[in-house]
Amino acid sequence: MSGDALVVGSIGDASRLLPILATDSASGDIVGLVFNGLLKYNERLEVVGDLAEAWQVSEDGLTLTFTLRPNLRWQDRVPLTAEDVRFTYQKLIDPAVLTPYSSGYELVEDVEALDERTVRIRYREPFAPALESWMMGVIPKHLLEGEDLNTTSFLRRPVGSGPFRFRRWKTGELIELAANPDYFEHRPHVDRYLTRIIPDQATLFLELLAGQIDLSGLTPLQYRRQTDTPRIRESYRKFRYPSFGFTYLGYNLTDVRFADARIRRAFDLALDKQALIDGVLFGLGSVATGPYPKESWAYDPSVQPPSADQEAAKRLLAEAGWIDGDGDGLLDQQGHPFRFTIMTNQGNEVRRQVAELIQRQLRLLGVDASIRIVEWSTFVHEFIDKRRFEVVLLGWNLSRDPDLYDLFHSSRTGPGQYNFVGYANPEVDRLLEEGRRTFDQPARQQIYHQVHRLLASDQPYTFLYVADALPIVHARFRNVRATPIGIMDNVIDWHVPLPEQRYKRMAP
Amino acid sequence: MAAYLIRRLLSMIPVLIGITIISFGVMKLAPGKPTDVMLDFNPKASVEARERMEQLLGLNQPIHIQYLTWLRRVATLNFDRSFRDGRPVTEIVVERLPITLTINVCALVLILGLAIPLGVIAAVRPGGLFDRATTVLVFIGYSTPAFWLGLLGIAWLGVALGWVPVSGLHSLDAESMSLVGRALDAAHHLVLPVGIMTFVGLAGLSRYARSSMVEVLRQDYIRTARAKGLPERLVLFRHGLRNALLPIVTILGLSLPDLIAGSVVMETVFAIPGMGRLFYDAVMARDQHIVMALVTIGAVLTLLGNLLADAAYAAADPRIRVGKSHA
Repeated sequence: MSGDALVVGSIGDASRLLPILATDSASGDIVGLVFNGLLKYNERLEVVGDLAEAWQVSEDGLTLTFTLRPNLRWQDRVPLTAEDVRFTYQKLIDPAVLTPYSSGYELVEDVEALDERTVRIRYREPFAPALESWMMGVIPKHLLEGEDLNTTSFLRRPVGSGPFRFRRWKTGELIELAANPDYFEHRPHVDRYLTRIIPDQATLFLELLAGQIDLSGLTPLQYRRQTDTPRIRESYRKFRYPSFGFTYLGYNLTDVRFADARIRRAFDLALDKQALIDGVLFGLGSVATGPYPKESWAYDPSVQPPSADQEAAKRLLAEAGWIDGDGDGLLDQQGHPFRFTIMTNQGNEVRRQVAELIQRQLRLLGVDASIRIVEWSTFVHEFIDKRRFEVVLLGWNLSRDPDLYDLFHSSRTGPGQYNFVGYANPEVDRLLEEGRRTFDQPARQQIYHQVHRLLASDQPYTFLYVADALPIVHARFRNVRATPIGIMDNVIDWHVPLPEQRYKRMAP
Repeated sequence: MAAYLIRRLLSMIPVLIGITIISFGVMKLAPGKPTDVMLDFNPKASVEARERMEQLLGLNQPIHIQYLTWLRRVATLNFDRSFRDGRPVTEIVVERLPITLTINVCALVLILGLAIPLGVIAAVRPGGLFDRATTVLVFIGYSTPAFWLGLLGIAWLGVALGWVPVSGLHSLDAESMSLVGRALDAAHHLVLPVGIMTFVGLAGLSRYARSSMVEVLRQDYIRTARAKGLPERLVLFRHGLRNALLPIVTILGLSLPDLIAGSVVMETVFAIPGMGRLFYDAVMARDQHIVMALVTIGAVLTLLGNLLADAAYAAADPRIRVGKSHA
């Protein structure tokens, strides 16, 4: 049953193959297969053990105790112990290590290895997102102690505990992993996992047409039209599931016009989000009503998207003092027409098209929006950081924990922080703080349902849509399934029947 | 000649420093820092983490200090490390250089081998059928976007006919091949990109060769050669071509830096990890040490190329040999 190789097409190359330093998605994908955290999400987005077989949260929420699975080993056969977990934590908070993740561990008082298999972590304050923070890959102390983590050669030939072992990395060309025969769940059935780096989207697609790539993401156009050929239908399977992220219009709430919630609600009413999804994503997405996708337990199903209603939107705008006084088709107030600029980043064709559709829909309302597309770095540092924008069109890819403190808490409006719209609602602040302190799942769910409802009614963002992830996988792989956590969740169970195996000549 | 060369070499140093000051300044003026790739729009990265990382990397020092630190290192041929993966810049460049160099040398040899005969034959009868046909052909190559030709070539030769690999440099099982097998495999992968680069690059040199030859053939000594009854072949190749090649030598010297400058477009379309993509990605990620290393190497090669062209020209043409003009 075992054998064959899974060839994955990737636009970008990895940079550092160490969990605490990996920030780009290419590095993250590889690191995720080579290393394990203490915990992970299962396919229903519930927190379950990974290296840990059990864990406890103390009554006061200040102490987490993890018990590791028995007989864990690094890929070089050295035992993996609680001491490695403590080492990982020390490196995460080490000021000399170039990790951007240190802030997730600021509230940790100390990490103690009670015995080989038990780790006790004490917090200064209860911190519910902590569970997610312990999904960070644990790194081997015996190989990294005394090394400079920023430059060590380990970054290019990592040794982890995961289902795949690192084999080779040819910069800019490919990264090859091999099945780890000792993996604690079971050895992956597929012998090799190869990432081919193909920076051009069109070439990547041609490689797929030539049958040289087994797994890749598709664009909506490719999914709907270009893969609708007999050859592709025969040898590939397409999957579709909501991605964990949303696209939104963010308003600068220090602008007097957008400080008025009626105007934001009017825009929410006027914008036909389904039309955006149909027009730009070929229907491959769903309307967003808040910051969570439908699959998340934090999503409140009682929040319904408003049906696009231009008339109601016009009434709201008139209430706020914007009417077409001079009959030129544009709303105005004291002789000033309602005019602003939607900014978005360069290099994202979908966003450009969405901006154009929004522009057209707002024009029907009597609002004149122009579009400005700016190179990413300039956009972030000259416009977002300095609050020099009126409306931005952007997207967030968030982690699975519903904590939104960094996005919507009123204390997070400084330069370089992410409440750049300047949203401040004391009730939301309180809920976000409480959500971080509450470990009890049903209670947390209530909190975030409330956050979802408040954000939907306050509209600091107009939530537009959640795009679907659209992977395509070669049909010779069996047991492939799409889950909210992604298609790769059960990659160790994928297999290829012997007669269909393709790569048999791989070097040992 | 030796004194002249030394003088020229010394005069390069201030020019080189000027180039690096300007490049360094421009790069620092552009918005964004090398840490942005890791930190921008990453809600898990706090402001404190950002400041800590910038301090670790020395990015919060004044520009002139940063420049002097850089200059001091470069004086010892140390280009520091990439911000992206923490490896020494030299190691990264050494990894990429042979790939780009191979492709460019192959393409250049093919271009020379094709462009000069094309130009020379066209020059024999300017305005004739061959001249007009090759003009049209090379200008089609010149004016077609390389990425489009590349994709077209892949779709037709790679996907539809399956004659050449779609992209990349090696087959996935190249590891298990013999040395010869691996070389043939790489050559197979390079057929299409090198072919397209040759086609696209043909116009320039073939036009130079043609106009240079046309001009030479109008000279008195050619008429003399013909008048004394030399066979046309000797007239063309011994008297004509040798003189017509002089300007080509200059152009070759000036194209020295191009040999290491990979084409971003071709390398992206064909998924080849060469110098072009290295530079482009480094600029996009604000990986300043890589950008500065490549700018410096490029500047050195440009200056050396100029010198080489002058020297080669002098060697080939006694009339312009420096130092003898007053004799």
